[in-house]
Amino acid sequence: MQQSNMFDYKNYRYFKIAVVIILIAFAAFLFFEPAVGHYGGSWLGYTLGTISALMVLWMTWYGIRKRRYRGTGATQGWLSAHIYLGTALTVFVTLHSGFHFGLNIHTLAYALLLIVVISGFFGNYTYMIYPRKMTENMGEDSLDGLLLRIAEADKLARKIALLMPDEINNTVLRACRETSIGLSLIDQLSGFQPNCPSAKAVQELTVLGQNLAVDQRKVYRELYSIMVRRESLVKRARQDLMYRARLGIWLYLHVPFTVGLLVAMLAHIVAVFVYW
Amino acid sequence: MINCLLIKITNNSRGLPVRNYRTLNATELMIGRSAECNIHLADPRIAMHHAVIKELEDGHLYVVSINGEIEVDGAMLQNIKLIPGKQIMIGPYQLNVEPAPPDVNLSVSLTLVNPLSDDYQDLKARTHEPLPNAFKFKWRLSMWLIAFISLVFLVLPLAQNLIPQLQSSMSELPFGFDRVWSSGRMSTAHRHFGSQCFNCHQAPLKKVSDKACVNCHQDTAPHIADPELQKRSLKAAHRFIGSMRCAECHQEHKAPHPLARQDNNMCIKCHGAIRTIDPETKLPNIRDFEKKHPDFELSFKTGPGPKDIERIPQSNQSKLIEKSGLKFPHDQHIGKVQGPNGIWDVRELACTSCHQAEGKEMRFKALSYKNNCSTCHTSELQIGAKDNKLTLPHGEEQNMFNALKLYAPKEFDRYSDQLKNNGCAYCHEVQPAKTGDKLPWSVMPLRLNNDWLAKAQFNHAAHRTQQCTSCHKVEASKSSADVAIPNRQSCLLCHSGNTPKHKRIASSCMSCHTFHNAHQGYDLITGAKVETKDVDILSTLPTVTEKK
Repeated sequence: MQQSNMFDYKNYRYFKIAVVIILIAFAAFLFFEPAVGHYGGSWLGYTLGTISALMVLWMTWYGIRKRRYRGTGATQGWLSAHIYLGTALTVFVTLHSGFHFGLNIHTLAYALLLIVVISGFFGNYTYMIYPRKMTENMGEDSLDGLLLRIAEADKLARKIALLMPDEINNTVLRACRETSIGLSLIDQLSGFQPNCPSAKAVQELTVLGQNLAVDQRKVYRELYSIMVRRESLVKRARQDLMYRARLGIWLYLHVPFTVGLLVAMLAHIVAVFVYW
Repeated sequence: MINCLLIKITNNSRGLPVRNYRTLNATELMIGRSAECNIHLADPRIAMHHAVIKELEDGHLYVVSINGEIEVDGAMLQNIKLIPGKQIMIGPYQLNVEPAPPDVNLSVSLTLVNPLSDDYQDLKARTHEPLPNAFKFKWRLSMWLIAFISLVFLVLPLAQNLIPQLQSSMSELPFGFDRVWSSGRMSTAHRHFGSQCFNCHQAPLKKVSDKACVNCHQDTAPHIADPELQKRSLKAAHRFIGSMRCAECHQEHKAPHPLARQDNNMCIKCHGAIRTIDPETKLPNIRDFEKKHPDFELSFKTGPGPKDIERIPQSNQSKLIEKSGLKFPHDQHIGKVQGPNGIWDVRELACTSCHQAEGKEMRFKALSYKNNCSTCHTSELQIGAKDNKLTLPHGEEQNMFNALKLYAPKEFDRYSDQLKNNGCAYCHEVQPAKTGDKLPWSVMPLRLNNDWLAKAQFNHAAHRTQQCTSCHKVEASKSSADVAIPNRQSCLLCHSGNTPKHKRIASSCMSCHTFHNAHQGYDLITGAKVETKDVDILSTLPTVTEKK
């Protein structure tokens, strides 16, 4: 039987809690409408705002809690609560705003919260999808193993290409020396090198192989198959790097914007009470 | 024929150079990757037939490029003369021309100076770890966000509040640092100064006081005309709200919502149980226009003064008689009627032929004989025999009696009776002379009512999609004593109470009423001003002492 994961932890305990509190918040929102419409300063607005602020602090505490290996409750349970209650928090904050937005600190804090939550959703998605794809892609290989096999293929291909005409030799040499795997951040995230020399080499070889002398044909076929195998290895290595980059990229936003959110929330609360 | 000594220099396993001698005899020495070349260089960076060493026309030996590149001191050349001491780069190899021993005409040494790097290490260098410098990036972005947000949204606005010099030096600017704290759009009327927060928020951590409002609204009258009512109702409101600042009812930063509160709660808090506010009041409890609201009371004029008014509930049908002093049957003045010029003069009369709308709220112009009646009826009254007609002007009775006395003194009594019974009395109610009157009789003074629902405000413009007669049933009215003001039930055909009903509009208190006729109060108490000492007076009112 599959072990429980962060989504169905304890039979969806935190999912149920999140649904219930969202429903309570919505009911309160519908039944207690102030005369001038909903806004953050009505008693319902203050209540929702206070709960939301406490929830934000608690969500942030998760970042510290998960690095400690002692403490109350399983970390998996904490993560489950973090995900579901974080989603509920978004609803709370939206109701707290009363759907009033403007160019001010209040909407900035809201926007930062949305960035944090949406990046969190993306992180969630990557952890649901990518680990399995990574296993499918790599099998029992490691990235270093792939690189070793590519290097081996390089050496072999170059040796064979020494006997070939200059164009073929140059193409193979360029493929071996210019192929890069995830050099820039964008290459890593897209899992793709624009004008990849390896892929280009395979294409060019198909054309160049047509006007070869008969005695070179056999060697050429060997070279071609090496290059094709090499290209697929390069692709797999790039895919692996892409999955690993995507598994981490959401934290580029999730963490710094959480820090920004805490400051913005402080400014939001100070602003409200200074101009009471 | 070239007789060449070729010295290949390689490194042994300990990294020391090893010289390998060979002599070559050929007319041309081919350099290349190909196996058939005299000087065979097995490196992928060397072309199949890279270059050739041969004797040119001038009798000297040259290295001439074929498919590859050769260079001397970084300059790429087509052919290079071989002089002892020269260093030539052929791809990754360096070719040195050495002093030739006596039995050969050329001696060159070849060294691989740029060996191919290790494939694996090379590839590894071109493969980066996923998300390099992630921690540094997150740290830096966090720091930038903290710095930016705390500076722009916390430190600068706070500084403006806490440092008076900064506040005063910024007061002329279009907006201050604290503009980013605005909680919502300002109302249009306040926007021109509203981007400087301190104009209203005069002290930090305190709610906006009435002093800020009175800076501009100096001539605002007490909101309720009757001083007794003012005291009572504001005390009551104070009890409900806890304070009586202007801003409790006039809430800013809620545009486009109107500045003044429009909700029923404010009204119902007192009027829902009015006797808790004033035990002696005659007013009924009111909660909802449909469910709990008294019938309308119509205002009837009882005298010439503006205060001679009697209010009669519409349920009291027997007393709903208008005494306007006119005899005007509406039924004869609507639809196709005969004009003054005989049976062929047929005119179509509509309500708007006489009742002409005026102004934004479509109030009606005052009716007059000259403007409205005389388009069909004659402007002068003729009396007497056909051959001796006497023309009487429309207007004061005194003028008419004078005319009679002057032009027909003998017929005075007959003509006077005739006018009393038919002439003037055709349209006017006539009253006999009272003791002391100089005139034998007079017409009743006109009391044309123009505000039937004095306590509410009815906007005809808001109802202009309706036919007049769908509310005012005058087509069958034979007498001007009839009152054709619709009652509450007819309003309820289209309107509902606080909540909307099927095909009926929700109507709150403020749909028809204003807050204790606040603006009429201003008209009545002319010159009334709020004194500075009265500002915030309501929050210092003694606790409500109720008679129980």
